[in-house]
Amino acid sequence: MKFIKKTILSLTLLAGISFASLSANACSVKIGDFDWDSANIHTAIGSYIIENGYGCDVEVTKGSTNPILAALIDNQLDIIFEHWTDNNVALIDPELASGNLVDLGINTPASEQAFFVDRATSEAHGITSVADLKKPGIWELFKDPEDPSKGRITSCISGWTCYTINLVKINEYGLGDLYTNFDPGSGGALDAAIAGAFAKNQPIVTYYWTPTSLMGKPEIDMVRLTEPAYDKACWDAMMVVVNKIKADGPDAYEPSCANEYKDMALTKLATGTFAADNADIIAFADAYTITTSVVNNMLAYYVDESGGDMEATAMHYLENHSEWEAWVPADVAAKVKASL
Amino acid sequence: MNKITNFNIKVVSILIFIGLIVATHNLIIPKNIFYLFLKLIFLIPSVALIVNIANIIPKHTLLFFSKVFGAIVLITLIIISYLSSKRKPDNFSDLFDKWDSFLGIPLPKFLINWPKWLDTPFMHWINKGWKSFIADYGLIFDAIGYGLLRGYTELKGIIVQTPWPIVIIGVIAITYFTSGRKVGTTVFVGFCTFFIGFLNPRFWDKAIETTTMVVIGIAICIIIGIPIGIAMARSEKVRNAILPILDTMQVIPAFCYLIPGIILFGLGAIPAIISIFIYACPPLIRLTDLGIRLVDEEVIEAARSFGASKKQMLLGVQLPLALPNIMQGINQCTMMALAMVVIASMIGTRGLGDEVLLGLQQLNVGAALEAGLAIVLLAIVLDRMTQAYGDKIQERTQPGKKKQ
Repeated sequence: MKFIKKTILSLTLLAGISFASLSANACSVKIGDFDWDSANIHTAIGSYIIENGYGCDVEVTKGSTNPILAALIDNQLDIIFEHWTDNNVALIDPELASGNLVDLGINTPASEQAFFVDRATSEAHGITSVADLKKPGIWELFKDPEDPSKGRITSCISGWTCYTINLVKINEYGLGDLYTNFDPGSGGALDAAIAGAFAKNQPIVTYYWTPTSLMGKPEIDMVRLTEPAYDKACWDAMMVVVNKIKADGPDAYEPSCANEYKDMALTKLATGTFAADNADIIAFADAYTITTSVVNNMLAYYVDESGGDMEATAMHYLENHSEWEAWVPADVAAKVKASL
Repeated sequence: MNKITNFNIKVVSILIFIGLIVATHNLIIPKNIFYLFLKLIFLIPSVALIVNIANIIPKHTLLFFSKVFGAIVLITLIIISYLSSKRKPDNFSDLFDKWDSFLGIPLPKFLINWPKWLDTPFMHWINKGWKSFIADYGLIFDAIGYGLLRGYTELKGIIVQTPWPIVIIGVIAITYFTSGRKVGTTVFVGFCTFFIGFLNPRFWDKAIETTTMVVIGIAICIIIGIPIGIAMARSEKVRNAILPILDTMQVIPAFCYLIPGIILFGLGAIPAIISIFIYACPPLIRLTDLGIRLVDEEVIEAARSFGASKKQMLLGVQLPLALPNIMQGINQCTMMALAMVVIASMIGTRGLGDEVLLGLQQLNVGAALEAGLAIVLLAIVLDRMTQAYGDKIQERTQPGKKKQ
């Protein structure tokens, strides 16, 4: 009895599996996604088009930077739609050179990292550059409640490289005696600190970056403070000090040089084997690019109006913009439109 | 108690009337901190009125009406969720276009897969309410935050400026007297205190910052928690109302209140202290309640037969006998407060938790573990100090039930 039971069970199981594989689409795409919202938007739009336009099965895997990149290098994933190029040069460059990975061009032309001041304070006190923060009386606007003898620059998260870079910058710009380089502890806390300052109309000077959902919100209006222009020699000299501090603690600081963050383009990546087999999808992914301001608006829509529904946000984008029709052949565009 | 007296009605309605005037006419009293406090104070008579009304209605009518009310609320919510959803079909009749079968029974599709329109817009309501709440009451939280911050910085400043050997001697002296002159405990606590700084000199000031936050947090817990515990022990109704709140406070993930705390109080020590209260207060309230209810019925009866008033009963009989339990509550409160301060480093709170976080973010296992050890030492010091005091009280109040 037992044997018959087992045979029947395994046969049905086998039948189920073969049916499933028969009914599956001709192609399947595995997309890697990250744990920040701009990457989620690109993944949602990209996977919607691949799923509905090209009729492929899409499987999205979400994780943080290092595991997802490792899975991509290992060919467990096929495409990622957002890649912060300059942050992972050492890891990715050899893979690009060996042909294991293929660079698919820019997805967002400009990302910014900089110090920002809320517009009201900036206009009332004429603060437009980091040098303006040194003017007498300015630091008192941003007084640190826990250390009232200094102002507070809400900085990057300690442990991220940008925290140490900001530390060196603040000292180089002569702000070290006037301001604390305040670590907000986590990305969510930094967002909340900025949102809280705007909710209560309090002045704030903070390190931040785009594209982010917070920057896309209409009520968050911040002015980027100008810094000395980017210069590779100066930046490299600064990074030497930054690495020393990371290794030996803040006492290792020594005067060097400092300038603004380089605005970096965000790119897309695919594995070499996937690119060789799926020329049509690669052509689409290659053409895919969305401007920073549109990404910010989409992020704001995602957070405020869609109720945290990525698919709805992707559909909102596809309904209200038309530039995406140029990325795909006419028949694919028609299929996507029909599915909306 | 069941009858509502004329006098009560008059007082309550006058208070509500004034409350409404204050709440609706910002012109009479300018919108400032006092106005906000007044508004909050006027909430109390409204609650009292609702309780009074609930008391005069017979119980079975009340139950019936609450069931009808519940049903109406549920139906309204479903209608609202359908109307406000962006994913609803174009026409109501479209709902019955798609059919599927389950075990051979045909059913409309929306009964098989959870339909996207069946989704109450709670999130939108909370967000809207949250925005106007910050706009209206932000000032109150600024005032509370300012007061707490002054207390925190002053206390921290004093301890940080004290030479470290004096701090260690102080800790040893406190432990010696609270533990009832037990030499073993005292020496152990002294060694632990010394080792916090001995592990890494940076840890000394950070441990003081952490301890200050824990102490202020516990002070708030005691001031608010013990009266609530007493109220719960005295009245079944109060207990039934407060228990679900305590459950929520204990179970809700810390980040649900840590992040909104930043918006209300700014980054740093204050949201951490508030989080300590939310996370660590429930055990203290529960143990106070339990301790008072566990006092022997015979002892209470004896006190009553001697003509003890309610106040004498509480202060002279119930609280002293419940003290070992309350001390256990404070001990639990301390441990949980310490755990919360470490989590709060994720919202920019300085202290030992900060060191652990930094170590982990840089993948420096040694640094993280070293800071973790310092936290354990600090926990041992705080635990032994409160525990020893609790043991001493227990020996005094219940000499027969000595430990071991």
